This record gives sequence, C-alpha cells and structure tokens, in this order.
Amino acid sequence: MKQHLQRQSGVANVDVSLLDGKVDVTPKKDGQIEPAQLLKATYDSGVSVAELDMTASGKVVKDSSGNLVLQVSPNQSFTVAPNEISHGLEPLVDSSTLITVRGQLYKKSAGKQKKSDTAVPLRLLIFEMKKE
Amino acid sequence: MNRKHIALMLLAGCVFVAPKLEAQIRHVEMRVEGMT
Repeated sequence: MKQHLQRQSGVANVDVSLLDGKVDVTPKKDGQIEPAQLLKATYDSGVSVAELDMTASGKVVKDSSGNLVLQVSPNQSFTVAPNEISHGLEPLVDSSTLITVRGQLYKKSAGKQKKSDTAVPLRLLIFEMKKE
Repeated sequence: MNRKHIALMLLAGCVFVAPKLEAQIRHVEMRVEGMT
C-alpha cells in the first residue's frame, strides 16, 4: 500500500503505522495531492479505508447551488458539509482571507461496503478552523 | 547591457515572483482496515 500511495502525484512521504492502522500522507511543498486518488490507490492495494481526514488551506467560496466550498486551488475544491463551524465561514465567502481547516473528507458507511463508495463526491466535515 | 539594465531586470523579476499564496492540502491522515 505504501508504494501505491507513494506513486501518487504530489505525494512527498507516506508513513504507515501497522499498530493503529494509521496512514499519514505528506504532500510535496508545491505539489497537488488528490484525496480521491489516495482513496482509490488504497483500495486498489487491497486495504479498506475507514476514514480520511485532511488539513488544508484555502479560500471560502460558494458554488452555483449555494453550497460553501473550500477552494484550495483553481482546479481543486471541496464542498463543505454543513455543521456549526461551517456556519462561521459565511462571512468569509469570496473574501481574500485564507483559512486552514482540519476535517473529515471520507468516512466508511456502516454496513456492507460497496466498491463504488470511493466514487462518491467527497464532502468536507470541518472539525477545526483557523484564519491565516 | 549595462549595470542599470541588469538592476532593472532583477527588480522586475522580484515583482513578478511575488510570494505564492500557500493554499494547499497540508496533510492527509487515513484510518485503514485490513492492513497486514
């Protein structure tokens, strides 16, 4: 699995802890990492992902449906799942303020796991937010 | 090309290489099952 992940674009380092089933992925400084590809690469290596959390910096925008979106780069953004913290992002919409958030992008659904689970759009459930 | 031109070109280069916005994914952590 480590080799599978290490081969993904934008990945600088992969740390695997067998003891607690934790995998830490550190992106390259100027590289773009794609969480959906990490999920796929992990599944392809025969390992099931229970949760994927990430820390990312970006700007807050709204999509055409009015959903809050964390824009990490012009071609990478994540729809924010509504919760108490996400309501606090409303005043920052379309501002130049850069925020750093820690949140959950994927959680394995209860019950029988379907392979197509990794193909569902990822939504970012924010746990923590910091303004830069 | 004299020194003045070189100095101007260096200055212009500094303006265009402005500090890049550090918006990016900084860390990803996965909890996995079935790892041996």
